Amino acid sequence: MDLKQLKNEFLGTLKKINNLNQLAEIRLKYLSRNGLINKFFSKIKDLPLNERKTFGQQINEFKKEIENQIKEKEEIIKNIQQDHFFDPTLPGKQYPKGGLHPLTYTIEEIVNIFQKLGFVRISYPEVEWEYFAFEALNMPKGHPARDDFETFFVDFPENKKFGKMVLSPHTSSGQNREMRRVKPPIRMINIAKTYRPNWDTTHTPMFHQFEGLCIDKNINITHLKGTIDFFVKNFFGKERTIRLRPAHFQFTEPSFEIDVSCGLCQGRGEIGSQKCKVCKSGWLELAGAGLVHPNVLKAGGIDPNEYSGWAFGFGPERCMMMKEGMEINDIRILYSGDIRFLEQF
Amino acid sequence: MNIKITHQWLLDYLNTDATPDEIQKYLSLSGPSIERIKPFGDDLIYDIEIISNRIDTASVIGIAQEAVAILPRFNKKAQLKINPFEKYRFSNINTQPKENLDVMINQPNLCSRFTAIILDYVEITSSPEFIKHRLQAAGIKIINNVVDISNYLMITLGQPVHIFDFDQIKGRKMIMREAKKGEKIITLDGNEVILNGGDIVIEDGEGRLIDLCGIMGGLNSSVTNKTKRILLFVQTYNKEKIRRTVMTTAVRTVAATYFEKGLDEERVEPTLVYGVELLEKYAKARPISQVFDIYPNPYIPKKIETTFDFINQKIGLDINKKTIISILSDLNFKPKVKENKIMVEVPFYRKYDLSIPEDMVEEIARIYGYNNLPNRLSPPALVLQPEEYDQLFNLSLKIKYFLKHLGLNEVINYSMISKEMIEEWGLEIKNHLRIKNMISKEIEYLRISLLPSLYKNIKDNQGRREVLKFFEVAKVYLPKKDDLPEEIYRLGIAVNTDYFDLKGIVEALISEMHIDNLNFQIIERNSIYLVEIDLGQFIKKYRVLPKYTPINPYALIKLDKTFNLSKELTFEKIINKARQSPLFQKLEAIDLYKNRLTVRFYFSSTQRNITEEEVKKELEKI
Repeated sequence: MDLKQLKNEFLGTLKKINNLNQLAEIRLKYLSRNGLINKFFSKIKDLPLNERKTFGQQINEFKKEIENQIKEKEEIIKNIQQDHFFDPTLPGKQYPKGGLHPLTYTIEEIVNIFQKLGFVRISYPEVEWEYFAFEALNMPKGHPARDDFETFFVDFPENKKFGKMVLSPHTSSGQNREMRRVKPPIRMINIAKTYRPNWDTTHTPMFHQFEGLCIDKNINITHLKGTIDFFVKNFFGKERTIRLRPAHFQFTEPSFEIDVSCGLCQGRGEIGSQKCKVCKSGWLELAGAGLVHPNVLKAGGIDPNEYSGWAFGFGPERCMMMKEGMEINDIRILYSGDIRFLEQF
Repeated sequence: MNIKITHQWLLDYLNTDATPDEIQKYLSLSGPSIERIKPFGDDLIYDIEIISNRIDTASVIGIAQEAVAILPRFNKKAQLKINPFEKYRFSNINTQPKENLDVMINQPNLCSRFTAIILDYVEITSSPEFIKHRLQAAGIKIINNVVDISNYLMITLGQPVHIFDFDQIKGRKMIMREAKKGEKIITLDGNEVILNGGDIVIEDGEGRLIDLCGIMGGLNSSVTNKTKRILLFVQTYNKEKIRRTVMTTAVRTVAATYFEKGLDEERVEPTLVYGVELLEKYAKARPISQVFDIYPNPYIPKKIETTFDFINQKIGLDINKKTIISILSDLNFKPKVKENKIMVEVPFYRKYDLSIPEDMVEEIARIYGYNNLPNRLSPPALVLQPEEYDQLFNLSLKIKYFLKHLGLNEVINYSMISKEMIEEWGLEIKNHLRIKNMISKEIEYLRISLLPSLYKNIKDNQGRREVLKFFEVAKVYLPKKDDLPEEIYRLGIAVNTDYFDLKGIVEALISEMHIDNLNFQIIERNSIYLVEIDLGQFIKKYRVLPKYTPINPYALIKLDKTFNLSKELTFEKIINKARQSPLFQKLEAIDLYKNRLTVRFYFSSTQRNITEEEVKKELEKI
């Protein structure tokens, strides 16, 4: 290879180079102690004396040119690299992000808590006979919950044994069904859609209910209290407490309203010297509960002298809003299908 | 139902050393909830939620009675100062009868007790300050001394009262009967109410309706500034009929709220007698008739028997006999003990809410204090979840999360839809169950498909976001003959993008569920693409792990080939053909331009390395 060839080869290689590493390599290849240029210098001694001087000058010129070219290229590369500034604070690649209905998350969480306690989740008819929705729950004919201001009736021939067809106004209709399905011990939860004829900012004609039912020998009030307390501490937080207040439901006796201490004012009922806007004197109503009424056990074919049980029912919607501090002025948004609401979850 | 009473009003009847804050706290734990306390002049207002079966507590005396039972458990003193139920008897009334009222009650089930008395020489003025102050606190409008007294009686003793202008009751005659459908009455607020029939009303001697009983009196017989003679009127009505009238006429009054809960009849006597006392004192009235009292079935005290063991077993704690007896005595239950047995007598004001031993459990537990009971978890028991539910809930959650991660939004729609939605979708109305007492045409029929709702979701959101992808997992309700409908869980998806987007979503889901093959059909409607699949299909075919094939150590050869797609040559046909080759592994559609499709085929053998020549031959067959 003569000098001319070497020069062309060098220029060709240099053209393709676009980073400093490659540049360092080429510098090494040509200019280092064992580089190509030095190899040419070592060839000088093989030449006739008169040619040695000129050849030496040519090599030296070429060496200088290489050095200049490399230096120039180095500048260019450095400039280019500044134009292509790498910004690690830019967002990553965008992946699709859908959403689940907020209630789905809430229901999932509730179910997980009760599964730890050995409760099984069952689903029962949403379209029910009056018998299961009322009679079996100690609500005889004439009870106010049974009139058509409180319950949706389906246009369908009446069943001789079970009465009219209704949209179940509560998940408690599943109590009798569960007692028919299995004998005690019973540890059941049932989360389902329920229906009542109210439609305004605080009511939707369809909503969810969450029912718990426990039947066994020697079940008493302390078991109900302990179970709800376990749920509240797991769902709302360790620092929350519950209280039971007397209440009335046809299918439990005794009956309670269960309150949970307010998370905003920590149960004090006031923040600073202002009354807490969220709760009633430090407490939020959470659920209705009680010991299963003996008539309900009897209707389910269970001897109330042998077995006793507790039941509770509450609204997952309310639990969700209470836990997350969601300010929903109009509850109807939950079932409106509005993407601006749904995409937030 | 809430009532508001003041602290001083309560102290008229209650002797206690408890502070208002203590009264609030302790009563709320064991009895009626005092939701808020608010200052009112030099007094305080208690805002109290009444438990639905404890209408007996919806009064000053009712709260005082509860306090007497509850406060001593918290080491607070509490006794009744006055017991109006003992103090005010008909025999107290000093009257010279000279007027008469002719009363007819057409049906015995309208009114369980009817009382009235005529008073004369009434002076209509304004009420004394304490009555005004207390009624204002209770949220009741001030009218004049006579009307105010009737309202004051209601809040004090828990028994609504009506006062007529006696001279406006024509013929001194009252006929209590059920209203006929379409009958009209102008109530004392000046509104005309059209009755649905079955409402309890009173007609006077000239056939005029003068009272919509239990709800509101008639304007024609109301007390005015000119009134001289009045009829003080205290009744208990059939609660179902009152409630029905409230619902059908939408006229709701405080009085109706009491009556529809079912009042005891014994309260009527002290209310009438105290009413006469107040009218004498503050309206200068004097009785001029006997007391008219129609009370066919007087209260015979109910007895309940139970045992100490039963009570403690249900409460879950050993409460000693002495404590139990003292609680029952404070509740005025007159307990009698015989060894392990306890017999109690139900006071008249609890006649409708106490009847079984479990009721005694509640009374003892609440007064003992629910907060004094320990928290215990229910004893463990092995209960198995039926497999179908286990799979249903697990899988539907898996499906939901997967679709969410693909960028879809879950929606929950009402189970009921409108006639328009059904018709627009081309479904038959007669295949749907209809709600008889629907409150809106939007939610009249139970869905047999999720798609009309999902289609509407996309329509409703158009313009809000460019790309819309919704899914719903819910039941549909398929009518059956003579039985409850079949409730089937379905998955519905709707997108506004394109056919292959939706197809890709469903295929990805099927693959995620490790399912080899699942049929589905995509429907297009106005550039919206929808699909609906029974969840049961996924449950049936779902595999936790896909089928494992051993790793093939032999060469995999890929070759591309381009086809002109047509009706005769579809992608599906290409696959079917390729599958016939014993060396075929899989294929991919890698490029589509117009109808020209480039497919990449993968071939290999599990026995040996194959050659490109072999493969080319195989490909030619396709």
